Amino acid sequence: MTEPSVHLTINGRSMAIAGVPPEERLLDTLRWRLGLKGTKEGCRTGGCGACTVLRDDRPALSCLTLTHDAEGTSITTIEGLEGDPVGEKVRAAFDAAGALQCGYCTPGFVMALTGLLREGGSSIPLGELLEDLGGNLCRCTGYAAIVRAVRSAREALA
Amino acid sequence: MTVAPRPDGPDKIAGRTIFGTDLEVPGMLWGALVLSPVAHGRIRSLDLTSARAHPGVVAIASDDVPGLVEHRMGDPERPPFPREEVTYRHQPIAAVAAPSRALAREAARAVRVEVDPLPIAGDLDELFPEWPSSRIEDPSRVAAHVHARKGEVERAFHEAETVVAETYRTAGIHQVALEPHACVAEVRDGVWRVQSSTQSPFGAREDTASILGIPETSIVVDGTWVGGGFGGKGAALLEPYALLLARASGRPVRLALSYAEEFRLGRSTLPSVIRMETAVTAGEIVARRVRLLLDVGTSLPGRDFATGYAIGFLLGPYRTPSFEVEGYAVRTNKPPLGPHRAPFAPQATFAVESHLESVAREVGVDPVEFKARHLWRQGDRTPFGQRVTPFGLPAALERARATATRWRQAAPARHGVGVAVGFWSTSTGAGGEARLCLSPTELTIIEGEREIGSGSVLIGLSQVASRRTGLPIERVRVEYRDSSRAPYDAGVFGSRTVGALGRAVDEAAVALLRTLGERLSAPGPATLEVRDGEIVAVHGTTRRPVSEIWTEEEARVGGIAAEGKHYGKSGEIDEHLVRDGTFYAFTDFTGAAHVAEVAVDPETGSVRVVRYAAFHDAGVVIDLPSARAQVEGGVAMGLGTALTEESIWSDDARLLNAGLLDYRIPTLGEVPPIEIEFVEGFPGAGPFGAKGLGEPPIIPVPATIASAVRDACGAHVTELPLSPERVARGLKLV
Repeated sequence: MTEPSVHLTINGRSMAIAGVPPEERLLDTLRWRLGLKGTKEGCRTGGCGACTVLRDDRPALSCLTLTHDAEGTSITTIEGLEGDPVGEKVRAAFDAAGALQCGYCTPGFVMALTGLLREGGSSIPLGELLEDLGGNLCRCTGYAAIVRAVRSAREALA
Repeated sequence: MTVAPRPDGPDKIAGRTIFGTDLEVPGMLWGALVLSPVAHGRIRSLDLTSARAHPGVVAIASDDVPGLVEHRMGDPERPPFPREEVTYRHQPIAAVAAPSRALAREAARAVRVEVDPLPIAGDLDELFPEWPSSRIEDPSRVAAHVHARKGEVERAFHEAETVVAETYRTAGIHQVALEPHACVAEVRDGVWRVQSSTQSPFGAREDTASILGIPETSIVVDGTWVGGGFGGKGAALLEPYALLLARASGRPVRLALSYAEEFRLGRSTLPSVIRMETAVTAGEIVARRVRLLLDVGTSLPGRDFATGYAIGFLLGPYRTPSFEVEGYAVRTNKPPLGPHRAPFAPQATFAVESHLESVAREVGVDPVEFKARHLWRQGDRTPFGQRVTPFGLPAALERARATATRWRQAAPARHGVGVAVGFWSTSTGAGGEARLCLSPTELTIIEGEREIGSGSVLIGLSQVASRRTGLPIERVRVEYRDSSRAPYDAGVFGSRTVGALGRAVDEAAVALLRTLGERLSAPGPATLEVRDGEIVAVHGTTRRPVSEIWTEEEARVGGIAAEGKHYGKSGEIDEHLVRDGTFYAFTDFTGAAHVAEVAVDPETGSVRVVRYAAFHDAGVVIDLPSARAQVEGGVAMGLGTALTEESIWSDDARLLNAGLLDYRIPTLGEVPPIEIEFVEGFPGAGPFGAKGLGEPPIIPVPATIASAVRDACGAHVTELPLSPERVARGLKLV
């Protein structure tokens, strides 16, 4: 039996992807079928947040999303933030705060924060933002610089 | 504080940086490892037939390795695959490569392995239940033994006013770099080429040559961007397997670990038991006795280093007139021991700092005062007779003491404030070389080390070149090259990049300035500046643009070249103190004093860290933002070691928590604000007086937290991590 094609809008471009097995994860579709390597593969069990993308504008773990389950949705990856008003501000905040070291967790953080700020803007209390980012792990920075970036990105949207 | 943007920032933030896991080359196959189902056993049969029956699949095991050995036999201690005996669970037994990830996994599952189980050595306490009261009689379990003593230790203990004896235990922990190990290998025209996420391209090349028995000159290691190392990516791990698969298939092969495999067969830290005994008379330490059992898993070369180096930290940075230290590296059926940011120092420091706090309490002296009184000072001799070079730890402890006093006065009930120190020696002894190339528009540092995140390569080395030449840092660029085209360097480990490779860069810069001085016909070296966009060599009132003083040949190759080398020396210890094994001298002396305020829940024993302060001697700090970032990151990592991180092994040496949901590292909300201060005036051996800073920040953290917990509620926890259960036991709640 052949699987039906999956219809997704990826970074604003709608596409039909054929030949995706039912067990394939969105993470692998993005990285290995579409070459979008900015979405990082960490633990593949939902424990690190490195693979965070936006699914219909909300942060989602692409490692725990089956590609077929995403049928009909709109997916934004780190590559799709180019020119995005909130995404650009988040990226600039990470750059200015030096909020990265090895950089492996960085796209996941940028996506998660972009999603949260898109939804709530600068009206979200800082504490709530930080709590919502608790699922994104960073082993290098100790989070201090990331917290500074979160604060300044939120202020930049005010 | 203004933070200079990192040169690697924009690409990393935009997701454009290609890490090891992201590598993809045309025609690439996917590799997978076949792992041992038991921790110890004899291989009865290994059948690759059904795996090979899959279309496009290549499968290899130990029988497929000989024949390629034309140069010499590989290291007999670590063949890529075992032939007869497996010695840890998940040890690679065979490997497959297939056109897709799914097919590779299916083929790996199709490999039939039958292993007859053998007795499993798992737990230190089960192996040596009577230790340390009885000696270790079974030499088959001992991978290395170290023993040293000085003075009349027995008499000192016998005559002392007070003797305190305690036993400490520490858990195995994992580096948890977010990027799993990954590489892509290709063998073509006799060249074994592997792109790998490694902390040490040259080290990986050396290891691979040794494991496969082929000359280093046939191997090229090309380091990719590294998604965190922390010691776990220092030695070759996957490279030999990927190369063997590439050779067998004639195709490029990608091999990467899943995160569960990362925990199961990566090289992490293993448990230890530490016995501490101290004799005190009139408030002064007169003798110490320290014994260590260190689980080294399946033994590997380098195990003696682990024990001999670890034990150097168990006496702490304290004056000790007489001592006896003895350590055993114990072979078990766990994966081989590996280094983890400041290998074993946080654990050793936890034991020695907690113990001396007990000693001080026993003799009725404030613990910080007791430690300050015994701390080494510049010019002192260490217990092993080494002269202490400029050492800012006493000054750092004074700063920490003042902060602790202030915090304690303001602390509410159930809060406690703790103080501890830790010291370190940066591995400036390991060698490195650098090449510079000066064009009319920029100065390029050519080297073979990849930036792994700390900034030590991209920012640290650039700062050294910038300071020496006078060029603004924006005009200095670091160019990475693979192991066939780069000058040699030992790798990013041991907090050595700025201190050792930085010295090579500095030497190259000095040579360059001398050359330029000669070109200006000046009596000494030139300096550099930028005028109208072009780099100009300057001496006194003489200035000439680079484009006017480079030769035709230099113009053709793109710049004026200069080279530098640094192969440092360690200090020396009194060898006559050594009874057995190898002990290591320190190269320099660095350290930190930390303060923590914690809140302990009296019903559950859970610990919340409220605030933290870190006072560091980093010699002359050459880049403040990176230095602060190292302290922020190192302290956070240490909080995991202190409170939550623990590899849990079953009786049959199975790792029970091989995943990030069960092995808990600190999350964003669990790291408190950290005050950071660098004590100045204690230059190190690095360029401009720099000392390494990658490792020191993690070292005092577990000891500091333990001290704060003890202050908060009286629970004296002698085992890492300080889980709620252990704290609750300390409170006699359970």
